[in-house]
Amino acid sequence: MKMQIVAGNPGITNINRRFIIFVFAFLLFSPGVHKEVWGDEKNDIKKQMQELRQQMDSMQKKLQELEEKNKKLEEEAQKQKEEKEVEKALTETAPPPPPGGGLRGLIQSLNPDISVIGTFAAAYFSTDDPILHAEIDPENTGINLQELEVGFQAVIDPYFRADTFFALRRDIFEIEEAYFTSLLTLPLDLQIRGGLMRSKFGRINLQHREFQDFVTLALPAAAFLGEHLNPIGAEFNFLLPLPWFSELSASVNSSNGLETPTFQPSPDANNLGLLLYIAHLSNFFELSDDLSLNLGGSFATGSNGTSSTNRSNLYGADLFLKYNPLKYSSSYQQVWLQSEFMYRQAETPPEPEGNFSDWGAYTQVVYRFAKRWNTGARFDFVNTNNNSFVPAPGGEGLFPARKELNYTAMLTFNPSEFSRIRLQYEFDDPSFRSSYSAVFLQFEYSIGAHGAHPF
Amino acid sequence: MKLYKIFQLMALSICLALLVMTSLFVSAEDALAKVRIFGSIPGFAAIAQEIGGDKVEVTSLSKGYQDPHFVDAKPSLILVLNKADLLLYAGLELEIGWLPPLITGARNSKILPGNIGNFNCSTLISNILEVPITKVDRSMGDIHPGGNPHYWLDPRNGIAVARWVAERLKKIEPENASYYDEHLADFTKLLSAKIKEWDEKLAPYKGTQIVTYHKSWVYFSDWAGFDEVGYVEPKPGIPPSPSYVADLIRKLQEDNVRLILEESFFPQKAPALIVGKTGASLLVLPSEVGARDGINTYSDLFDAIVGEITSKLANHGKG
Repeated sequence: MKMQIVAGNPGITNINRRFIIFVFAFLLFSPGVHKEVWGDEKNDIKKQMQELRQQMDSMQKKLQELEEKNKKLEEEAQKQKEEKEVEKALTETAPPPPPGGGLRGLIQSLNPDISVIGTFAAAYFSTDDPILHAEIDPENTGINLQELEVGFQAVIDPYFRADTFFALRRDIFEIEEAYFTSLLTLPLDLQIRGGLMRSKFGRINLQHREFQDFVTLALPAAAFLGEHLNPIGAEFNFLLPLPWFSELSASVNSSNGLETPTFQPSPDANNLGLLLYIAHLSNFFELSDDLSLNLGGSFATGSNGTSSTNRSNLYGADLFLKYNPLKYSSSYQQVWLQSEFMYRQAETPPEPEGNFSDWGAYTQVVYRFAKRWNTGARFDFVNTNNNSFVPAPGGEGLFPARKELNYTAMLTFNPSEFSRIRLQYEFDDPSFRSSYSAVFLQFEYSIGAHGAHPF
Repeated sequence: MKLYKIFQLMALSICLALLVMTSLFVSAEDALAKVRIFGSIPGFAAIAQEIGGDKVEVTSLSKGYQDPHFVDAKPSLILVLNKADLLLYAGLELEIGWLPPLITGARNSKILPGNIGNFNCSTLISNILEVPITKVDRSMGDIHPGGNPHYWLDPRNGIAVARWVAERLKKIEPENASYYDEHLADFTKLLSAKIKEWDEKLAPYKGTQIVTYHKSWVYFSDWAGFDEVGYVEPKPGIPPSPSYVADLIRKLQEDNVRLILEESFFPQKAPALIVGKTGASLLVLPSEVGARDGINTYSDLFDAIVGEITSKLANHGKG
């Protein structure tokens, strides 16, 4: 039996091994046994899952709460936005465009403004030998280049600006002006100009050719100032503390190289008292919105070159009146009147005739009757108490302005602001020779950026 | 008494008088202490007045019924700019013919370009119109290389100007910043509401074909939605020739142009002729604050412009 049992054992084992393994496996993996053998893993996961779910739920709740809050906030913001919408949107529609963007950047350059103004005049004189009062006037029957003005204008730095003008003719190069102007706020409302410049003497001396209203220069300007009085000097311009515009200008100039009929360098160069001193007072009155009046007085004194002590004194008075009815500006009608008086005293050597004095004046009226048209008339004269020429050792000598009268009428058409056609008739009546007539047809053009002219 | 002594006495007394007057003026200035603002055109002055309230003293250099291209550079303007704290101007070369010599003559470094008192309003307009994209020359008439300068005729640009005026004033007078902010807010609120109102009024007339005398209404048309089909001037600044007017009349007879707009400072002969030969009506409109009595503020200006245009268009064709 034992044997059987023993012998039979393997048989039983063989049959039941799978069963036993199954039971074991069952026991091992059955929930209870599993629990004890492997621990409560599933439950843990479930718990964790539940915890997670709870957390999720609370998170969701929180989220909802937040969303609600957010919505409320948004609604409030919306309300505020709506209130400010137009205001804000509109105020922020216009941020300043970036500097130097696009074509604007291309236009930017630090070159000065460059301009060229050409003035040509066809002339017909009724005499073979007309008097040339100023070099810039047409000389002879025929076509003349009066002047080619080349301008360079720019601001130098925050403190100064510079203006340079060259006057060219076929074979003449002249520096007409090259000066700086101070831009700073200075005590006593001072403004300083320095360099080679048209002096503040009267009105016409400051007017460039293209700004003048007639083809030829008025007689007193030609006789006393020459083309223009443009010495090298320093000029101090004060605004006087008065209720109207009143500017006092004083300048000290060197007459070296100056070839005007009145002032020439002294043979004795080392004399401060014989430098050229010029003073000018300009008063502007706005009589009404439409009517303006400018009254000025000028004085200049300096060496006249006839000896190392002789000087000339030049006195001037100027008047400018302009009527520009603004409310009727669609008619473009304007009238302006410009007048100047000049008186000169010259000390000259006692031989042949000693000191002389002479004087002259001009008055011109221009009527602009349409946008592009104006017409005007001028009367000018000079006279003297002495008729003899006085030679100067260093310069050209002094010519007293002998009696001469001039009557002028002109008609101007400006096709645009940059071109001009001007017809002028002139009758010249000198005391020392026969009178004659002249007709001019002037053409003037301006290219480039030319600075605006003063009033 | 000798002559030279008289002169000496005179010179001395003049010097004394000047000194006394200078001191008087200096003390008067201190007492005033308002920010002195100048606008090259009255529109800018009016905006500055609304922002600055009673803390500022505002003056316009030109009149509302004056062509802003052509203003006499009177020396009296030099005198006022000498005392200026802030100068507002349109820029884009609108004032090129008269403002630069005034700024130079003013001896006032505050208003020089680049300084706080110099305010070129065009620098803050984001949509400058008609900026040339090719090289320009004067055969095209008196054109502005930087673009069309008449941008104040779009009221939205008025808000931009106001905003930057306030910025400048706050820089000049930080102690009054809140005051300027308040005024800016008031101005913007009022003008925004007004713009809405004008927009509604103009809405039915979007796409209306118009002709203007000068190219000065492009910003207005851009805002109002008008279609500018022609100009009485063949080129900016060039008056029309008879043949050009005849061509324009032929063109307008084909198109359906209902309005010809122009400012009072332009001639009305040619436009009147065109109106007579076509179905269009002529409207002489104010383009500036102060162009007429009763137009005292920036929104008054657009009340007048929009009012007149809409009533004209509403009655158009009704005889």
